[in-house]
Amino acid sequence: MKPRRWPLYTVLAFGYAFLYVPVLLLIVYSFNESRLVTVWTGFSTKWYGELLRNQQLLDAAWLSIRIAATNATFAVVLGTLAANALVRHGRFRGRGGFELLLTAPLVMPDVIIGLSLLLLFVAMQQTIGWPDGRGFTTITIAHLTFSMAYVAVVVRARLAQMDRSLEEAAMDLGARPLTVYLRITLPLIAPALLSGWLLAFTLSLDDLVIASFVSGPGSTTLPMVVYSSVRMGVSPQINALATLIVLFVTVAVIVVTLALRGGGGGRAR
Amino acid sequence: MAAPVPNRPVRDRRLSRIVNVGLPYLWLGLFFLLPLGIVLRISLAEPALAQPPYTALWEWLESGMVTIQLNFGNFMLVWADDLYLVAFLNSLRVALVCTLLCLLLGYPMAYAIATAPERWRLLLLMLIVLPFWTSFLIRVYAWIGILKANGFLNNFLLWLGVIDEPLAILHTQVAVYIGVVYSYLPFMILPLYANLTRLDRSLLEAAADLGCRPWRAFLRVTLPLSRAGIIAGSMLVFIPVVGEFVIPDLLGGPRTLMVGGMLWTEFFSNKDWPLAAALAMVLLGLLVVPFVLMQRWQQRAEARGS
Amino acid sequence: MASAIDRRSLEPWQDPQAEPYVRIERVTKKFGDIYAVDDVSLAIFQGEFFSLLGGSGCGKSTLLRLLAGLESPSAGRIHIDGVDVTDIPPYHRPVNMMFQSYALFPHMNVEQNVEFGLKQERMPRRERAERVAEMLDLLKITELRQRQPDQLSGGQRQRAALARSLAKHPKLLLLDEPLGALDKRLREHTQFELVNLQERIGTTFITVTHDQEEAMTMSTRIAVMDAGQIIQVDTPTGIYEYPNSRFVAEFIGSVNLFEGKVMRRDGDEVLVESPLGRSLQMHCPHPLALGTPVAVAVRPEKIKLCMDFRADAVNQIAGVVEDIAYLGDVSIYHVRVGPEKIVTMTLANIQPRTEQALTWGQEVAMEWSPTSGVVLTD
Repeated sequence: MKPRRWPLYTVLAFGYAFLYVPVLLLIVYSFNESRLVTVWTGFSTKWYGELLRNQQLLDAAWLSIRIAATNATFAVVLGTLAANALVRHGRFRGRGGFELLLTAPLVMPDVIIGLSLLLLFVAMQQTIGWPDGRGFTTITIAHLTFSMAYVAVVVRARLAQMDRSLEEAAMDLGARPLTVYLRITLPLIAPALLSGWLLAFTLSLDDLVIASFVSGPGSTTLPMVVYSSVRMGVSPQINALATLIVLFVTVAVIVVTLALRGGGGGRAR
Repeated sequence: MAAPVPNRPVRDRRLSRIVNVGLPYLWLGLFFLLPLGIVLRISLAEPALAQPPYTALWEWLESGMVTIQLNFGNFMLVWADDLYLVAFLNSLRVALVCTLLCLLLGYPMAYAIATAPERWRLLLLMLIVLPFWTSFLIRVYAWIGILKANGFLNNFLLWLGVIDEPLAILHTQVAVYIGVVYSYLPFMILPLYANLTRLDRSLLEAAADLGCRPWRAFLRVTLPLSRAGIIAGSMLVFIPVVGEFVIPDLLGGPRTLMVGGMLWTEFFSNKDWPLAAALAMVLLGLLVVPFVLMQRWQQRAEARGS
Repeated sequence: MASAIDRRSLEPWQDPQAEPYVRIERVTKKFGDIYAVDDVSLAIFQGEFFSLLGGSGCGKSTLLRLLAGLESPSAGRIHIDGVDVTDIPPYHRPVNMMFQSYALFPHMNVEQNVEFGLKQERMPRRERAERVAEMLDLLKITELRQRQPDQLSGGQRQRAALARSLAKHPKLLLLDEPLGALDKRLREHTQFELVNLQERIGTTFITVTHDQEEAMTMSTRIAVMDAGQIIQVDTPTGIYEYPNSRFVAEFIGSVNLFEGKVMRRDGDEVLVESPLGRSLQMHCPHPLALGTPVAVAVRPEKIKLCMDFRADAVNQIAGVVEDIAYLGDVSIYHVRVGPEKIVTMTLANIQPRTEQALTWGQEVAMEWSPTSGVVLTD
C-alpha cells in the first residue's frame, strides 16, 4: 500500500508559492509606471532609468561589490585552510574549540557580531592606531569573519567526500605534499571553491546590520542605502534593483550548478 | 633528553598544520572571540560623554596602584526595566513560534523533495536555495508591498469580497512572523533534506512489510531517525531569529520590539554603548544553551556518519 | 646438480645465501591501542610475485601501505634493495602502488595520468613521451590515451592504473586487491595476464588479496596473515598441502579436521587416536611427544571411496551420505561418520550424474593414505 502523495505535494506547492510570489510581484511591479508600487497603471522601464541615474546608489553598489569580491577571495583562502584543518589534520589539540569558533559565526546574531567588531576596532585604534577610521577595510574584515565559516562548511563537505587514495597515489608517484595539494586536491575541490566564493560574495553584498556598525562616514554600502530608502516606504526604484539582483543571481546559480554537474569528477563512489 | 630531529615529512606536516589550523584559528580568535571579550569589558563600564563614549575599566593611579571599576548597573537596568524584559521575552517568543512554523511547513516540503523522483530533486532543491541567494533585505521589503493597508493582499481580499475594509497586518506581530518564516524557511529545509535523503528507504519497506501502516511507519521510523535534522534546522532558525533586527524593524510595529532593535536603538540613537554591550551579553547568554545543543548533535551526527 | 642450481635461482628462498630484495624486520604498526601489524618479519626476493593473503582487518593492507611509505611503522625497519627506507617519505621511495580503487586522477586523461609520475621526477619531455608510449603499448591501451577515467570500463581503468604505476620502473610494485573491482569473468582472465606481465618485465610484485584462489593462481609465494601477524609463508603448493596450523588449513580451501592425541610414533609416521573410535596413521616428519593433542587435516579431494573396508584398518572410516552438492565437474558429499562429525569428500564426476553410484542415505566407506594429509598442533 503506497501512501497518498497529493497532500505532500500540496504543501510543497504552497511552500514554493510562499517563497516565490513576493519576488514575482516585486519584479512585475518594477515595470509599473505609477510611483504607487501596488497600483498598476501601465508598463514602463523608467524606474530602471532612474535607478541608473541615482549616483548615491551606484556609488554604494560599487563599494559593496568591491567589498564583496575582496571578502569572497580571502574567505575562500581562510575557509579552505580551516576545512583542510578539519578534514586532513584529524584530532589536533584544540579541535573542539576550533570547530566551535567555526560554527558560532554561522548562527551568531548580526547585532552581536557588528557591535563586538566595532568595539574591537575602536579599542584597536586607541591602542595601536589601526585601523585609522572605518570603511572598506573594517567592513571587509567583519564580513570575512562570518563568510569564512560558510566557505569552510562548503569546502569541508567536498574534501570529506573526496577519495583519499587520489592524494596518496600522487604522493606515491613522487609528488611532494604541496604539489599534491596544488595539482590534485585543488582542481578536484575547485567547484566547491567556486560556490564558496559566490556564497561569500552574496553574503557580503547582502549584509546590512554588521556593515552599519563597522562602517564610517563616507562608506555607505548598498544595503544601507536600500534600508534607508525602504524605511521611507516602498519605492519603484528598489523594485527595479531587486529585479536586477534576482536576474543576476538566477543566472549565476544556474551557471554554477551546471559547472558543478559538468566538471564534477573525483566524487566518492 | 634531546628531542629527535624531525625528518622531512614530519616537518612538512607540522608546517601544514601551522598554516591550516593556525591561520583560521588566529583570525577567529582575533576577530570573533576577542571582540566578545571586549563587549563583556564594556558592558561593565559606564557611559560617558567622551570618545569613545564609555569609562575605562581600570585606571593607573600615580602610586602605581590599579583601580578596577566594575559597573553592574547596565545589567541591573536590563533586569529591572520592564522594557528590556519585554523585548527579551518577545524575541524568544517570536523565535520559538517561527521555528515551529518553519518546522511545520519545512518538514513536509523537505520530505516531499527527498522522496520525489530522482530527476526532479536537484531542481526542487535549487528552487529552495535560490531565494537564499537573493538579497535578504529586498525580500523583506517585498512583504511591505504585500501586507500594507493598500497592498496586494488587502486589495486581493477586498476584490474577492472576503473582507470589507483593509486588514491591519503590517506593523503587527503577524507581519513579523510571516517575514521571519519566509526568510528562514530554507535554513530549516536544507538540513532536513540532507537528513531525509540519507534515510534508508528499505527501513520503511521493512516497516510496511512487518505490517506497519504508512502513517505509523512515519511516526515510528522516519520521524525519530530525522531528529538530528530537526534539531539542526531548528537551531539554525531559532538562534539567529532571537537577535533578528531587520525584519521586526521593517515589518513590525512599536509593540513588537525585539532585542536586536533595542540594542540598535541604544547604540545608534542613545549612544549608550555600555548598555548596548550589556544587552549583547545577555543575548549571548541566552543563546549559549541552544548553541551547545546544536553543536553536540552535529558532532554526534558526524561521528555516526563516518 | 644442474637441477639444484636451477631450483635455487627460481626459488631463492630455498637458498640460505640469497640476499632478500625486500626485508621487513620486526615491523609493528599501532593505531591507538590496536595492533594493525604486529611484529612482522618477512624476506621477499627479486622477481617474486608475492601475495599477502588474509581476511579483512588482518593487517595486509597496512603492511602494503607501510612498504609504500603511506604509513610509518611504530617499530621495526624496512629495507628495499639494501637501502633502509623506513624514514623515506612515499614520494622518494623507489616503490609504486596500484590502488584498489585505481585512484586515477579524474581531471586528467589516461596519458596525463601515466605521465604524472615521470613529470614529478623531471624526466625530459622526449624521454617522457617515449616512456608513456611504451607503457600504453605494454598494457595495450594506446588507443585510449585521450580518454578521461570516467570514460573507461573497469578493465581499462585497471590497465591504465597499472601503466601509471609501472611508468617509473619501480623496484617494487605494490598491488592492493588488483582484481577486486573487476567482475568474476574478467578477474580470471586478468589473473593470467598479470602473471605474464610480471614475468615479462621482471619487476617484483607484492599484492594484497582476500581471495585465496587469486593468490594461489598468481603467486610465487603467499604469506597468510591473521590479526596483524604472519601465520605462514610458503609457495601455493606448500600452503595448500602442508598448512602449518588449523587457521591456514581452514582459510585455504576446505579441510576435514580430526581432533585426537598422538598415541604412537614409528619413524616418520604417527598414530593418532581419534574420538571416532578409529586410529589414524599419518606421515609426520617433525617429532611429537606422545599424548600431544593434534588435528589431522585431510583435504576433501584426498579422500577416496574405500573398496575393501575392514573394521580394524587405519585411515578407514564409514558413514552415511547426508548431503550432495553437484557442481558439474565435481560433487561434494557430506558424510556423517559420528553423532557430531561430518566428513566432506569431493569426487570427480567421471561418469554422467545419472550413473553416479552414491545417493542420499547410502552407507559408504572412505580412506586416505598417510601422506595425503598433515598433523597439526597449532
